[in-house]
Amino acid sequence: MIFKLDSFTLEGIDAVKVSVEVHLSRGLPEFTIVGLPGKAINESRQRVRSAVINSGFDFPVKKIIVNLSPADIKKDGSFYDLPIALSILAASGQIQSEIWNESYFVGELSLDGNINPVSGLISMAEEALNTGKNFFFVPYSIAEQVSFISDIKVIACKNLSEAVEALSNREKTEKFVYKGRSVVDKHFCYGFDFKEVKGQFKAKRALEIAVGGRHNIMLIGPPGSGKTMLAKRAVTIMPDLNLEECIDVTKIYSLYRKNVSGLIRERPFRNPHHTISRIGLIGGGINPGPGEISLAHRGILFLDEFSQFPRNFIEDLRQPLENREIVITRNHFSYTFPCNFMLIVATNPCYCGYFGNDSGKCVCSLREIKKFWKKMSGPIMDRIDMRVSVDRLPETSFTNTEYDESSKIIKSRVNKCMGMQIQRFKGSNIVCNSEAGIDTINESVKDDKKISDLISMISRKYNLTARGMASILKVSRTIADLEASVSIKEHHVIEALNYRVCFNYDNDSDASINCM
Amino acid sequence: MKISSDSEKILHILVDRKVKPGAFIKVYRRNSCNLDKTINYFLNYKNLEFKYDACDLNYDFTRNNWNSSQDVIDFVLRNKIGLLSIGDDDYPDMLRQIHLPPLLLFFKGDRIKKMEFSIAIVGSRKCTAYGKEAAMYISKNLSEMGIIIVSGLAAGIDSFAHRAALEGKGGSIGVLGCGIDLVYPPENRVLYEKIPENGSIITEFLPGTPPLKSNFPVRNRIISGLCQGVIVIEAGERSGAIITCEIALKQNREVMAVPGSIFSPSNKGCHRLIKEGAKLVENIDDILDEFSIYTGKIFKTRQENKFSSKKEKENKDHDTNLNGNELRIYEYIGYKSKSIEDIVKYSGIEVKEVLRILAYLEINGLIKEDSFNKYSRLF
Repeated sequence: MIFKLDSFTLEGIDAVKVSVEVHLSRGLPEFTIVGLPGKAINESRQRVRSAVINSGFDFPVKKIIVNLSPADIKKDGSFYDLPIALSILAASGQIQSEIWNESYFVGELSLDGNINPVSGLISMAEEALNTGKNFFFVPYSIAEQVSFISDIKVIACKNLSEAVEALSNREKTEKFVYKGRSVVDKHFCYGFDFKEVKGQFKAKRALEIAVGGRHNIMLIGPPGSGKTMLAKRAVTIMPDLNLEECIDVTKIYSLYRKNVSGLIRERPFRNPHHTISRIGLIGGGINPGPGEISLAHRGILFLDEFSQFPRNFIEDLRQPLENREIVITRNHFSYTFPCNFMLIVATNPCYCGYFGNDSGKCVCSLREIKKFWKKMSGPIMDRIDMRVSVDRLPETSFTNTEYDESSKIIKSRVNKCMGMQIQRFKGSNIVCNSEAGIDTINESVKDDKKISDLISMISRKYNLTARGMASILKVSRTIADLEASVSIKEHHVIEALNYRVCFNYDNDSDASINCM
Repeated sequence: MKISSDSEKILHILVDRKVKPGAFIKVYRRNSCNLDKTINYFLNYKNLEFKYDACDLNYDFTRNNWNSSQDVIDFVLRNKIGLLSIGDDDYPDMLRQIHLPPLLLFFKGDRIKKMEFSIAIVGSRKCTAYGKEAAMYISKNLSEMGIIIVSGLAAGIDSFAHRAALEGKGGSIGVLGCGIDLVYPPENRVLYEKIPENGSIITEFLPGTPPLKSNFPVRNRIISGLCQGVIVIEAGERSGAIITCEIALKQNREVMAVPGSIFSPSNKGCHRLIKEGAKLVENIDDILDEFSIYTGKIFKTRQENKFSSKKEKENKDHDTNLNGNELRIYEYIGYKSKSIEDIVKYSGIEVKEVLRILAYLEINGLIKEDSFNKYSRLF
């Protein structure tokens, strides 16, 4: 007796259809799974047997061969427990259904027959939609994740018995269709707000600009000055994710952890420790998965103690920062993960951490400070448009709160600023100022004699390279956008000067450390 | 560049005959500083190697792989390096007077020929931001008065002293502890190229001599020897700068020291010098005072200028067009540094406007950022 139903496997972030075929034959009782199964799939034999028996069905005493086709794709994960169990029940004649061919099945079984969450559900739902089937059987606990898809009926089952019931006739099936809340209206809150940061006006303003133009930013300051606190709150002023972006983010997260219950509405904030492995940061592994850069997709990647990250890891960020995606290629496959993130890095100004602080605690020699900054990778520093100093505040600053704006107010300004950019870059594949080529930016200032005079004066005075000047102009562009100004004015450029820290300990060209 | 016959002969004696420089000077002094007589003495004398082995200055020229003095001369001519001997007119008089003057000086740049009044600035290689500022301040101001700043082209204080001095008309002389064709430390490469444009780099070591540890105390006697006085900035208890000062005192030069924090170990040497009687340097006038014999004129005009420049500054205030808010913030900032938070709270102006004003005042040279996000007035 042969039986066949459809399920999925994951290739990187994409789902691929897999047929689960079962053949029951006479012979010594045996239960084998073929089709390049991984360890988790091989172990599924034990789960399926227990779940079937504990749900009140008979486990056939026959020679059972399960084939996962296409047989040449490596498969791993626990998606196939439910489809294997159902196909064994069907093949042994214990259940019948009209909708086998109209359905997809995924789910992990526990020994008592309950259906547990699986990873990558949202990618599978998209693939299911593309292939035009009607029903998608999913674990109940994570069904909300895919409830936004209206063209396919999501059948949420708590256990194997429910799945069997849902299959019995079409009326019953309708009963199990998941009716979740409309996800998009769901209110969410980050749990922290810019209002909680007292003082630090410059840093706050800088973050507003950075988020507004999607500029990568570096926070420089002594320990305890609030760099992490500030960086964490940058997500709260980013525009809300739209549905498409929510799906993007949820896709990645559902690969990474199984219990993503609904669509993710918050922008991710990833803060990996500097002992992270290369694959942990970039992605990859035996079963290639997303790294921190992809987990930060549409959100913020925050690298605290930037100087402590191994240099080659930092170099690895170059291409993803440019292309907004990472292609992970190994012997047999090449997967693409999106990684459109904003980079915030924080560092101390020197080894002891107190350079630039007026306490005079810094015990570093200039040579050591130079060495400290030399460690930072030049090409990455090129991609960081803004460097902002953050200093510890005296206690008195913690009392006065009238100047501390809430994230909501800042966010509304950022939204307008983004709107300006979308208009400007309409028709090109650029979306924000930080991605714009210097020619585009120059266009808005080239006719202004005053500005070009100012620019040449500044670059002379601060000994800026063309690169450094380009960063300043890009930041000025964003400042102008925040004010809804079409052209860059003098005062925009002057304000932008604040966002480059120059240590000025070396004026020589060859030793001009990465501080622009 | 021409090389005098004296230089050639001395080079021949030192390189081909392997005479130690100390031995040469001993004989030179015995012959009441008659160079011809000394040269003839060595040219005619055989078997010198053992006789004068135990002398003060017995570093070994033969450590270099020069086969003959002619090779050195070829190299010097080919690379446009200047060579002076102790007998030449251009040889600095100050240097001629010291205990063991260098017999030969390899140099680049022309400042060595017109040395009148020069001051050495020496200090720690591992200087702090304070030391850097002090070195740049003193060096720049002295150089602007036409005083030549001599230092050792090492990292730290030395390099900052050179760099600031190059901006003034006095210029700078860098004394090397290695051959003139080598750059040590490598980060001073740019200084090596810049100094000959407004100063000189000099060394007594043959081209190709590596920067050996033992070379530096030897070099230090030239630094102090070239100058009327030595200013020490940030010297540790036992450091090269302190050695230079000890030599300077033996050479009868003035020693002055810039004080620092009493908690920092990098100032211990300076403070000991001050306790032992070195002059404490707080400003340029402290230095000029000490050398009033040489600088009487400069000193006087400087005092007069002081008053007129004050007036100029007052005028400058009115000249710069500061609008209402700019002026208010500028006046609030004052000479003690104020944080951005304070300024915003005082003025009640929007943060972005305050930031713009601060940057505007900064590019106009009216205020500076003392430490992170704290500003003070310059005028």
